[in-house]
Amino acid sequence: MFDTDILLQDSREILGAVPVTLAMAFTIFVLSTIVGSLFALVEHRRIPVLRELIMAYKVVFKGVPMVIVIFLAYFGLPPALQFLLSLLGINFNAHETPNWVILVIAVTGCVAAFQAEIIKGALNAFDTGQSDAAHSLGYTSGQLFRRILFPQVALTAIPDLTTSMMVIMKALSLGFAIEVVDIFAQSQLTAALNYYYLEAFVIAVVIYMVIAYIVTQIADRLEQALRVRT
Amino acid sequence: MDVSAMIPELLSALPLTLAITFTAMVVGFCLALVATTLRVRRIPVISHLTDLYVSYARSVPVVLQLFVAFYGLPLLVILFGAKDFISATIAAMVGLSLYHGGYLSEVMRPAYLAVDRGQHDAADSLGYTFRQKITRVVGPQAVHFALPGYGNSIIYLIHNVALVMYIGAADVMATAHLIMERDYNQYQFETYLVLAVIYSLMCLVAWLVVRFFELRSPMQAPETTTTAQIKNAAVASV
Repeated sequence: MFDTDILLQDSREILGAVPVTLAMAFTIFVLSTIVGSLFALVEHRRIPVLRELIMAYKVVFKGVPMVIVIFLAYFGLPPALQFLLSLLGINFNAHETPNWVILVIAVTGCVAAFQAEIIKGALNAFDTGQSDAAHSLGYTSGQLFRRILFPQVALTAIPDLTTSMMVIMKALSLGFAIEVVDIFAQSQLTAALNYYYLEAFVIAVVIYMVIAYIVTQIADRLEQALRVRT
Repeated sequence: MDVSAMIPELLSALPLTLAITFTAMVVGFCLALVATTLRVRRIPVISHLTDLYVSYARSVPVVLQLFVAFYGLPLLVILFGAKDFISATIAAMVGLSLYHGGYLSEVMRPAYLAVDRGQHDAADSLGYTFRQKITRVVGPQAVHFALPGYGNSIIYLIHNVALVMYIGAADVMATAHLIMERDYNQYQFETYLVLAVIYSLMCLVAWLVVRFFELRSPMQAPETTTTAQIKNAAVASV
């Protein structure tokens, strides 16, 4: 039955996994945004061959469940890395790659496909008249990007980027299959020690919901603060 | 590695996967209808509880939701004085239905709100009841807005069915694990590739079905400006 005495003790243990989870989520968020932006740029500029490759990439990563991608990375990445490095003549045991690196790479690969879509949408929402105006004023493309394009595109993308941040948080919970300890995995470990399963999972649920609430609040504030008052 | 020998064995577990998917689809759809109605009508306490449910379904990882269903349901059943009949399969169905219902509600509500404000007002001024308004005026137009998001949510449901293995339901993934262990874990990468193909095909079929309806629906599509088009978030749900 549900035991309330254990809650405090359990929650202290599970909260210990929050910083690690957030750190990993943030790393993945930054990496996948960079990769996704590159993808979006390729599609926006319509670079011939790369564009088709990215389309294929997106189709594959949307069709395959994330668990399977993580497992494929877990079993496929170290041998592939080993092979590539041996071609370059570097002697390095890639099978000792820590599991969390593999998880970060796999989730980044998955989320980048979605980030590309988000950023492409934000780029499409950008008014091309503004870039014409900037060019006519003699802006270089670096200036155009920094002063006009980026501030607007980033603002448009904030709500969707928040969602993808939450998705990354949740995707990390699949890491327990390859022994990466995040909030969910920690709640499972705690429960396995004292057999209070439901209690540990309820605590994890509360933690996830609180984090989601805080993240959305921060994003809302940020969006309001950055929006140009007209 | 003989992949062709593995496929029939994997497919023998497909009926269970499909059964869980369809149950979650149907029950989740009903749940989403109820949840959306409650949220749209703004009944004081109940609306907030429904909001809480939707944010539970959306912000908690599906694995965790499955585990909560698996360990929580027997408690509920015993509380109501029944014998504990909850198996992993039933828990998976309930857990995924709850997840899908919450996710879908967040597709339906924007679709409802995306219907032109004037249509709502017109229906109200003609004295339509809420149900009449939904079935005759707002519903048919909202379907058009909701279809792309619905297609996405079905695809994510299929993705997440791959997770029911962790609470011990004997679906395709679990069978794959059995096969791998029988081969002394030699062919894990290949087996997961086959699984990836199976799940992609399932998603493809679901996508084609939704696509068929999407192409059909412009016949009765409401005339709206592009600003009224709702964004359907392309982000995955885990």
